[in-house]
Amino acid sequence: MKKNNPSYSNGGRFRDNLATRHRAGVIWQIVFQASTVIGIIALTALLLNIIDGAFGYVAYEARVDPASLAVDGVAIEDLPQELLVEILRQNLSSGAFNKLDNEIPFNERSRINVYDLVIERIVRYDVTESWTLRESLTQGAEIRARVIEEYPDAELRFISWINAEFIQRPQSSEAVNAGVRTAILGSLLTILVTILVAFPLGVGAAIYLEEYALDNWLNRLIRTNINNLAGVPSIIYGILGLAIFVRVLGVLTSGAVFGSVDPTTASGRTVLSAGLTLALLVLPLIIINAQEALRAVPQSLRQASLSVGATKWQTVWSHVLPNAIPGILTGTILAVSRAIGETAPLIVVGASTAISFDPNIFSRFTTLPIQIYQWTARPQAEWRHLAAAAILVLIVLLLSLNATAIVLRNRSTKRF
Amino acid sequence: MRKHLFVPLFAILITSLVLAACSASPVATEEPVVMTEQPTEALPDPLAGYLPENTSGEIITAGSSTVFPLSERMMQRFEEEGFTGAITIDSIGSGAGFERFCVNGETDIANASRAIKDSEVESCQSIGREPIEFRVGTDALAIVVSRANDFATDVTRLELAAIFSTAETWSDVRPEWPAEPILRFIPGTDSGTFDYFVEEIFDEDEAPILSASNLQLSEDDNVLVQGVLGSPYAIGFFGFAYYQENAGALNVLAIDGVAPTAETAESGEYPLARPLFIYSTAQIMQEKPQVAAFIYFYLTNVNYEIVDVGYFPASQEALEAAVDAWYAAVGLQP
Amino acid sequence: MPGKKEAAQGTGYPVRKEGLRKRRRVGETIIQSLLFFAGFFSIFTTLGIVYELGKEALLFFRTPEVDPWEFLTGTSWQPHINEFGILPLATSTFITSLIAMTIAIPLGMAAAIYLSEYASHKVRRTLKPILEILAGLPTIVYGYFALMFVTPLLRSLFGNDVVQIYNMASGGLVMGILILPLIASMSEDALNAVPRALREAAYGLGATKLEVVLKVVVPAALSGIAAAIIVGISRAIGETMIVAVSVGAGPNFTFNPFQSAETMTGHIVRISGGDLSYDSIDYNSIFAIGLLLFFITLTLNIVSQRIVRRFREVYE
Repeated sequence: MKKNNPSYSNGGRFRDNLATRHRAGVIWQIVFQASTVIGIIALTALLLNIIDGAFGYVAYEARVDPASLAVDGVAIEDLPQELLVEILRQNLSSGAFNKLDNEIPFNERSRINVYDLVIERIVRYDVTESWTLRESLTQGAEIRARVIEEYPDAELRFISWINAEFIQRPQSSEAVNAGVRTAILGSLLTILVTILVAFPLGVGAAIYLEEYALDNWLNRLIRTNINNLAGVPSIIYGILGLAIFVRVLGVLTSGAVFGSVDPTTASGRTVLSAGLTLALLVLPLIIINAQEALRAVPQSLRQASLSVGATKWQTVWSHVLPNAIPGILTGTILAVSRAIGETAPLIVVGASTAISFDPNIFSRFTTLPIQIYQWTARPQAEWRHLAAAAILVLIVLLLSLNATAIVLRNRSTKRF
Repeated sequence: MRKHLFVPLFAILITSLVLAACSASPVATEEPVVMTEQPTEALPDPLAGYLPENTSGEIITAGSSTVFPLSERMMQRFEEEGFTGAITIDSIGSGAGFERFCVNGETDIANASRAIKDSEVESCQSIGREPIEFRVGTDALAIVVSRANDFATDVTRLELAAIFSTAETWSDVRPEWPAEPILRFIPGTDSGTFDYFVEEIFDEDEAPILSASNLQLSEDDNVLVQGVLGSPYAIGFFGFAYYQENAGALNVLAIDGVAPTAETAESGEYPLARPLFIYSTAQIMQEKPQVAAFIYFYLTNVNYEIVDVGYFPASQEALEAAVDAWYAAVGLQP
Repeated sequence: MPGKKEAAQGTGYPVRKEGLRKRRRVGETIIQSLLFFAGFFSIFTTLGIVYELGKEALLFFRTPEVDPWEFLTGTSWQPHINEFGILPLATSTFITSLIAMTIAIPLGMAAAIYLSEYASHKVRRTLKPILEILAGLPTIVYGYFALMFVTPLLRSLFGNDVVQIYNMASGGLVMGILILPLIASMSEDALNAVPRALREAAYGLGATKLEVVLKVVVPAALSGIAAAIIVGISRAIGETMIVAVSVGAGPNFTFNPFQSAETMTGHIVRISGGDLSYDSIDYNSIFAIGLLLFFITLTLNIVSQRIVRRFREVYE
């Protein structure tokens, strides 16, 4: 500022003021930054808490000493396949042995596979005690000493509870053999149904409300109603889903209509019902977010399009939607992330806690959060480690879902 | 650029999983596996039809979250022994389990950590189901205090009633105990554990325990453990398995001089041993032999697994009575 | 083509017989009715909820022991001994939500402002998805975090005698942490959507960055921010598993955040997952509570919508 310019007669005050304004700016910037950091710290603590449970020392004890299975002094690790099969034949009931043979004949299995069966079905390792990551890192020596003293037969290993086998294996009632395959499949299928239903319906509703709806009582009612539905506790959606999808539409949701299941045992407590229930749950969230995104599209764009003779729908489809997509996707990610983590409504709709088969759209199912919920409630500590591992699996699942949406979003982000 | 791979990758992931899920047709519709080399001497045995490898189809069970780990274990063993059908177990609470069994009639077996109520039997009958009870095990309630509590080691039933109702401080129960307020940690009012405790200690009258001061309830036993650990003057009760898992930090109290152990729980000497049941009906068991087979397998093998799951075996007589009930239901002579 | 072009040049528009009158377009009408249906669909959801809850709640209110007036004003909730006062459950829902929002609104908005206006593009692109992922963790995870981490922290800060092992404060705090990313992410979108021209105009007038942010951008994005806050509050009121694990399961009538209590949702999930018989009065009571919860959020929404409409600013 030029000091002696007469038009800035109060230049001195202006400058003083400027310094204050800049100081305020710096202080507030620090406040904003600090808030973000505080938020991140809290969430990091949460994540560390999960990671703490997913790794650590485990002491195993075998029910049958592997040494006792040795044949002529050859340990089972070195036995040929035929002898391993023979061990299975002798130690398993005929029913169990025949079932394994029926699934994949023993002569077609690999030696490693047969060896694993011997370990899993006959040796049967059990978790004696387990430790968290923090304990394992800070008290490693004490843990080792304790295991030698208290469980002389036990084997101590540092493991990651989350590993390839954990993801591939179906559920099990023994922590050593437990896996999340059925739960992952259940979660993915459910969420697929949810997205397919809720995304078009939600975006459609938002377009109607933002682009077409006049400001009359009906549309105001619809708007208020949607905002209200966003706040209804999720368990209430479960009650609704039970009444509508499981009971009233049971013929449809059980797949009996399509002849894919035996009608006498058909039940509406299926993946389809769960997916539809979650769709109802996330629909208002998607609509609210999509509305905000549509609202942010400048009016001039619409006017430009309309003025060159485009119809309303052409304007919406070719000009408004492409510009609103980033916001719509953010909302959808948030909503779908929430749906993946939901437990309560699925319990009401009838997610099974244990199933013995891989789910399809018309079958009963279980999901990751239900598995996690169930495992955390058990007395033995090893289940909580498994729960932590399952949470990490869920995070990876969410990450890959987000990555997809973020790519879509970043491609089309524009600022006006 | 690498980011852009996510879209196709994720799409492929989803599609492949869906395909994998769809191509695995429901096991229930598969042909039952028939052993061609089935030993002929097994044929005359009427039980052969109820061996796991000779049955298939769907078994739907729902109910108590306490019985759940046990049923899950039995389901796994049943499958390992050759069963090729599909089993589901829903852990939804005994009450909800009976609702699905007696009102909607959609399950084959109800798991319960309490005996069926008369009103529930009536609803069952009104849809033509006559429930049969099978005792499968025992869950002892452990009365626990923190390790830091160095005065209480055993209590009488009367003292127990005082501790969980009118007594304000520990010295109100026994003069030699400290004059510190009692902090109480108990399972939620809708749990079978609470129900059972009130029935045994307070003659089904819930008012005294619910009007006690410093009362903390939680539906999650792991959460109760945390509560009791918090203070030397805390006391709580929950399933024995939760005590066992935290035995290093908790002390269990003996009641009238009887400590909860496998022997005292099995013999009925320990007063707070709660029965675990499964329920089905004769009609279901006859129409769906796989259900009968599962129950038979359950009753005859449960004692090999129950301790590992964290409960105590039912008494020999109770299990034998259950097996007899099974024979009667399927119409065979023991 | 050239012929048409000439025609257009002659009249300015390719005028056909019907002239410039609005034509009926079947496609447009179909699309519009489909969109209307999508919008109207949510009404069915509401009707379904009210019908389902109402049906069972009626059973509850018809029970002779239950007096609707006492239901709304009673301060003791023990259905087992015929005490049906909803206030203990309602206050604890209110207190936990209040604590959660005290954490989540300022922190969430500040984080949103930082991400949208101050942070570099790279930081924003990394942090935002992380925030969004955390919104998807099963809330039981947050529940155990509250019980095993936050409660001990509170107890070491304020003393074991003051803070009970189950308390509303830790549940509320963690609920705030859960809702923070939700508010931050949605508000950031709203801030980001404010036209750049507005900011530039403000800078042009000599405003500092802070002034641009607080006096121009935030007011312009207010409707979006308000929507985020409303969704956040609704989520807090409806949140179940966190409070079920960390707040306790005993309906205490208290305003002390360091004491245990039970929220309305906590009660619903406890009863629906428990061992109680389905024909008991407890069981029916959860539908009455659900209905009440529904009307509470309804009132809240109507009020907040009024507010939003008043402050909403439309920019080009």
